[in-house]
Amino acid sequence: MKEKSLNQNLKKLNEIADWFDKQEEVDVEIALEKVKEAVEIIKETEKRLKKAENEFEEIKKSVKA
Amino acid sequence: MKENSSSYIKELLETRIFSVSAYLDILNTLLQSCKTRVIGEVSELKKSQSGHVYFSLKDKKNGSVLNCVIWSSLYRLCGVELKEGLEIIISGEPDIYKPRGEMKFKASSIQLVGEGELKKQYDQLKKKLEPLFAEERKRLIPDFPCQIGIITSRQGAVLHDFLNNLGCYGFKIKMVDSRVEGQEAVEDLLSSLETFKKEKIDVLIIMRGGGSLESFLAFNNETLVRELAEFPVPTIVAVGHDKDVPLLSLAADKMVSTPTAAANLLNQSWQRLEWEIKEKEVRIFSFLPSFFENVRFEEYKAKERIFKAMEERFNYLKAKLEKLQVVIQNNNPKRNLALGYSIARKSGKVIRAVDDVKIGDIVDLEVIDGIIKSKVNERKKLKSKS
Repeated sequence: MKEKSLNQNLKKLNEIADWFDKQEEVDVEIALEKVKEAVEIIKETEKRLKKAENEFEEIKKSVKA
Repeated sequence: MKENSSSYIKELLETRIFSVSAYLDILNTLLQSCKTRVIGEVSELKKSQSGHVYFSLKDKKNGSVLNCVIWSSLYRLCGVELKEGLEIIISGEPDIYKPRGEMKFKASSIQLVGEGELKKQYDQLKKKLEPLFAEERKRLIPDFPCQIGIITSRQGAVLHDFLNNLGCYGFKIKMVDSRVEGQEAVEDLLSSLETFKKEKIDVLIIMRGGGSLESFLAFNNETLVRELAEFPVPTIVAVGHDKDVPLLSLAADKMVSTPTAAANLLNQSWQRLEWEIKEKEVRIFSFLPSFFENVRFEEYKAKERIFKAMEERFNYLKAKLEKLQVVIQNNNPKRNLALGYSIARKSGKVIRAVDDVKIGDIVDLEVIDGIIKSKVNERKKLKSKS
């Protein structure tokens, strides 16, 4: 799967949240699939955020050194 | 050594007989060491067709006369218009012209005497050169100059002051040593300008420390001013000034008063760049943390919305289920049997109306704890309420 940018991930999460808002009668099975997808995106986003933060800290250190 | 050579010449002169020419050669050699400056009034002024100027310099006190000549090229350099009666100082050395046996003082430079004359000459020249000082002619000192050409005297603290104030921005300094004092400096300064015309430089600086009014004379020289005004790269003149700004400073693209100020001028664009880099660094390094924070916050908000929506759906479904359970419970036939109702069946089919049975039929009555077999003895329809 092609990695999406953090912004794309946020967009997708918001789309899922919007989907929930729009549904009057939720199909639980579909909703569960959506939640599973959201959790995957959250995990992926967190992982990439942490990686980016670490890289950023390294860069900061190398500039200040 | 000097003493030895002079005693040798003395001995030679005393012991030998010379031809006129050889004797004049010796005299001219000796006269070369009489290089000096002489003050007096101009008289018997004559200009030859070739531009050489012949004149006498008269002692104001007793009328003693010194015959002088200045060659046309040097005369032009001096920037002084000779007139009879003008008091001047000439620099040079005496020389005997052998075909005539006449001694003449060969002047290499002329300068005016007296503040009044100097001021008059300064004002005239300033007016004449005015177009060279126009603001629209001024070129900007380029940003981030690197190759710097400097014309100054190696002696004195000028260069030291300049270098001390120059930032560490990778400047490459090329320096030409030149006299910067008095009228004699003109020749040096012109030749230094020529040298730098062939060099690849971004900026040229002419500088010197403080000095007397007289020592500014070179910086008011017409030829020098014109040369600087036409110099191919932007120029800075840092020679300071007395009452009047030297004309050379007016012709420069930028005039500053001290070598330190010249160094600061060169530093300016580099310092600005340094500051801008720092500012950009702060902006870049503060952007990412706030971006990370924003992603986290957005992610949190979306997560909350999704989970809350999901919980709400579960709660809604649970509530709906509970409600249905109650309805189902309420309609459960077993519950009615417990209340004392019974279900009548004939051959397994529920009896709903009187017509479903005939007299003598065996029917099953289901009660809460079993079935009662009954025989139909009578049928009686109830009158409908409606």
